[in-house]
Amino acid sequence: MPDFASRRGLLFGAAAVSAGAVLTGCTSNESKDDDAPSDNNQAVADDKPGKKVTIGFAGPQADHGWLNAINDNAKSRAKKYEDVTLEATEGSNDTAAQIGQVETLINKKVDVLVILPADGKALTQVGLKAMKAGIPVVNLDRIFASAQAYRCWIGGDNYGMGLNAGHYIGEKLKGKKNAKVVELAGLDNLELTKQRTKGFDDALKNYSNVEKVARQAAEFTVESGQSKMSQLLQAQKNFDALWNHDDDQGVGALRAIKQAGRDDFLMVGGAGALSAFQEIKQDRGVLKATVLYPPTMAASAIDLARALGQGKGVSGMAEFEIPASLTLYSAVVDKDNVDQYMPTGFK
Amino acid sequence: MAPEPPLLTMSGITKSFPGVRALDGVDLHVQAGEVHCLLGQNGAGKSTLIKVLAGAHQPDDGTIVWRGDEVTLRSPIAAMRLGIATIYQELDLVEGLSVAENVYLGHEPTAAGFMVRGRDARASTAALLKRLGHGEIDPARLVGDLSAAQQQIVSMARALSHEVRLIVMDEPSAALDPDEVDNLFRIVGDLTADGVAVVYISHRLEEIRRIGDRVTVLKDGRAVAVGLPAKETPTREVIALMTGRNVEYVFPERPVRDREETPSEPVLVVQGLTREGEFAPFDLELRPGEIVGLAGLVGSGRSEILETVYGARKPTGGQVRVDGRVLRPGSVRAAVRAGLGLAPEERKAQGLLMLESVTRNVSVSSMSRFSYGGWLDRTKEREAARAATRELSLRPDNPSVPVRTLSGGNQQKAVLARWLLRGCRVLLLDEPTRGVDVGARAELYTVIRRLADEGLAVLLVSSEVPEVLGLADRVLVLREGQVVHTAPARDLDEHRVLDLVLASSPHGPTLAKGLHGPATTEGSPAS
Amino acid sequence: MTQPASPARPITEKSPPTDGDKRPWWSFVVRADVRTLSLLGVLAALVVIGGITEPEAFLDTDNLQLILTQASVIGVVTVGMTFVIISGGIDLSVGAIVALASVWATTVATQDYGFAGILFTAVMVGLGCGLVNGLLIAYGGMVPFIATLAMLASGRGLALEITDGKTQMVTVDGVLKLGERDSYVLGIPPLVMVFAAVTVVGWLLLNRTTFGRRSVAVGGNAEAARLAGIDVRRQRLYLYLLSGLCCGIAAFLLIVLAGSGQNTNGNLYELDAIAAAIIGGTLLSGGRGTITGSVLGVLIFTTITNIFALNNLETAVQQIAKGAIIVAAVLVQRRTATT
Repeated sequence: MPDFASRRGLLFGAAAVSAGAVLTGCTSNESKDDDAPSDNNQAVADDKPGKKVTIGFAGPQADHGWLNAINDNAKSRAKKYEDVTLEATEGSNDTAAQIGQVETLINKKVDVLVILPADGKALTQVGLKAMKAGIPVVNLDRIFASAQAYRCWIGGDNYGMGLNAGHYIGEKLKGKKNAKVVELAGLDNLELTKQRTKGFDDALKNYSNVEKVARQAAEFTVESGQSKMSQLLQAQKNFDALWNHDDDQGVGALRAIKQAGRDDFLMVGGAGALSAFQEIKQDRGVLKATVLYPPTMAASAIDLARALGQGKGVSGMAEFEIPASLTLYSAVVDKDNVDQYMPTGFK
Repeated sequence: MAPEPPLLTMSGITKSFPGVRALDGVDLHVQAGEVHCLLGQNGAGKSTLIKVLAGAHQPDDGTIVWRGDEVTLRSPIAAMRLGIATIYQELDLVEGLSVAENVYLGHEPTAAGFMVRGRDARASTAALLKRLGHGEIDPARLVGDLSAAQQQIVSMARALSHEVRLIVMDEPSAALDPDEVDNLFRIVGDLTADGVAVVYISHRLEEIRRIGDRVTVLKDGRAVAVGLPAKETPTREVIALMTGRNVEYVFPERPVRDREETPSEPVLVVQGLTREGEFAPFDLELRPGEIVGLAGLVGSGRSEILETVYGARKPTGGQVRVDGRVLRPGSVRAAVRAGLGLAPEERKAQGLLMLESVTRNVSVSSMSRFSYGGWLDRTKEREAARAATRELSLRPDNPSVPVRTLSGGNQQKAVLARWLLRGCRVLLLDEPTRGVDVGARAELYTVIRRLADEGLAVLLVSSEVPEVLGLADRVLVLREGQVVHTAPARDLDEHRVLDLVLASSPHGPTLAKGLHGPATTEGSPAS
Repeated sequence: MTQPASPARPITEKSPPTDGDKRPWWSFVVRADVRTLSLLGVLAALVVIGGITEPEAFLDTDNLQLILTQASVIGVVTVGMTFVIISGGIDLSVGAIVALASVWATTVATQDYGFAGILFTAVMVGLGCGLVNGLLIAYGGMVPFIATLAMLASGRGLALEITDGKTQMVTVDGVLKLGERDSYVLGIPPLVMVFAAVTVVGWLLLNRTTFGRRSVAVGGNAEAARLAGIDVRRQRLYLYLLSGLCCGIAAFLLIVLAGSGQNTNGNLYELDAIAAAIIGGTLLSGGRGTITGSVLGVLIFTTITNIFALNNLETAVQQIAKGAIIVAAVLVQRRTATT
């Protein structure tokens, strides 16, 4: 098991895993003068009810398993806190509509905003507007064009996802001569797909015996996964490993693999769908691992928003303020640690 | 004509389409300032010839000499640049644009090379319209809001907006009422006085006699007469040239009615049929073997009555009975099932499936006869369609050809064959000879009379009074939606009908739309 | 000109045949129009290209099975679409109907009824959507473009509502098995058999039945068809029902193929089906079109996708090639049509 898959003591790694386990420890802000700053006992958010906070949440339309999980995570997290009121908008993929929704939230004078933009660049202006109005913005995953448009950004690491998938596969194929690897990418129009592929390629460069022989892009849908995978299987009569960017399209990819009757390679998925975790746990098919792109980030975003609203910091760090940017770790989930992640798997 | 070098000399023009030689070495000589009439039956090659002249078709062979120089007309724009303008029968105007925009479409007056100077365009359009005697048309109006006659004027204004030396007019009078026709002739006179040549195409021989200088007659893609003097050549000779035979008796004789003492039961009974705003309660009894004609102006309700009887329009009152059974109002299907058949006014737009073969056009209303549970027996269908088209001497004798390749008369026969095949008992004919040339008309008249003799009942609507009088047994004269007179055709003549149609009309002669006065065509027994 | 018609002669169903009639039984080969032949030519050229660039992967039975299987779902949709376009209409909702039918048929509740439940639901949802389209267009007087656009939006919305964005896994064994190798009969995947059957039925329906005739007549000239006694509105209703039925069947095939139902299914099927019909020679204005052409159009697109994937080319390049093929095909047809 390579190091990359393990969870280091990074700040939100744990938050990404199990809800509520992260932001612990508390003293009030007022008490900080009495204690030595090095004691790391600044006011941090905790589970206990504090000042009432209204959080505005604007996300895209949940037409995909992962996005749906984002909404679920945000809502269930908010429900957990008595002091949090969540004003969630109807999800929208339309930039103009989403801008309107965020503006409504600004007018309602919510305390903190959590925004997962349909298009990060296009929603920058409205993020700036909120910040100017004195409403701190937690920018979730798709980043705004200007750092002034958010107080804190929290999101996944697409490059790291590719990197970790590549290293996992590289380690698994260690010692195998002329090992062939195939990549089933996501929607090629998206920058994140390019980043994932870049990370994957960079990782594979460390393994001279491994060569990527084919790459096809699907569309994050089951249908496209089935279609592109069956073509890849026909093109590559034998290869050793497959990385699929997305577990949703992976459902289709696994179907194609079954239909072709192939089991001569190992497959690594992406994102962290429940069905993928179950497949990994059962360990009967080709899917041996998946690289996380945790939707629990939405829960963490709510935690951050609550902390911001209550004027508190987060535990585990020496600083008084919560960080400006948090990049989540893309852990590799395989048979050994899948049980731990099972509750976070999305449908 | 002054003996100056001809404006246009086309010689040996040949043009073939797949399976058809449309033009076979045609000559045409046009002098500046003359009205040159182009005559010929449908399919004789007239429209192909004018399309060659307009640059829309490229000839396979032959030369075109324009003002002494041999030219190639590669495109309509090339022809226009030389000063050749064409006004097509099917108006090619954009309904969503204004009059001025249509007139200057493609050569808009511009500023800085691309900004359309709308004001200039409207001003010069207004001037053009005034010159055409229609200063009342607002250049800013949408063409789609204008009447057909006004659109014709716009089309003409468009032709005149170019530096024009030759104007081709393809049946310009077809959509005009007599007033408008007079205006048209005045415009033609003005143009020729300015030295502009006009190539004039019409089916109406009397018009040619009125304004034509010379006549070129086409038949089967050949010019059978080039440059005959229009005024001196007898009409009979022109018809003979067009049809290749003398038309002595255009209308078939009516059968001797011995049976009149024992009239058969009426097959069609119309009682109080009304459409408010279109026609007053209308009554009719139609017996097998009888042809009843409806005479009236456009707007007198004649087509509306026909279409309402057929169920294509929903009546506001009254009923239609066939063999004593009342038809569901406003249902074409009920009418067809009961044995009615309509040959509509607009043959191409309403009657025929232009992309399809003759067979399919003929069988379309009788498909259940050749199908078992929806499954077609195509051999049986073809045989039956062939039998029906042969019955009517439809040419060519091959029902697999696309119906669009047929001449107007034969297309009409295809429509008739459809109802013949269906076993229809009442035939409703709306302008059955529109767009059909003189020779073919006679044949259609014979066919219609024979169908009646075989027991069909026929209700006929026509703008041509001689046609109604010559063909029908009984005539109903309509004025403003009301039957003003009913009489056997033999008791009426054209002047009497015209009097009835126009009498005490509050609107005077402006109502005289779409009615053609007494024909000067020789051989018409009614004149 | 002919002589005035001869005196009445009774119509006999048997009259001596003219030259046009003496056709040997194999004449349909010769009569296959230029358009169909040119499409076959394109397909043959693609096979050659595939065979040269990827001889091993392209030219084997597995790949033939793969291409035909991948063509099945969109192929069935295209057959329905072809009828609609021939009749002068358009159905923009096919992708949404496929999505809705496939998710409705894979809900937990539906799956309780097993194989039959899934099949029945998929077909009924397809027919239901087609019925709504047909009623709106034929009797509600709505323009097909608008009515089916509305169905597209609401169908996709309803599909999302049902799934909540989640992928619905199929647990019914019989359905799953149908998409796997064990079910192939003589090497033919069941999906391909359904596609072939729909094609044949579609061809017969268009060319050999009154239904087909009426569809063409309505598309060629609706007013003339009405005045000839055809119930134009009822015919239109039937046509959108037919398209909906095809979508329902396609949805079932997709469920079998993907082993799941997802609201993103059938993405842009409307464009793929229209494109296939158009390059197959169907007139977008109605009145003319062939099932053979449309199916060839589908096969051409699927084969291109296959060749590009086997050659490991990017999606972007595939899309460019697809666009170029559409333009080229239409240009070639315009040429053959005018000569």
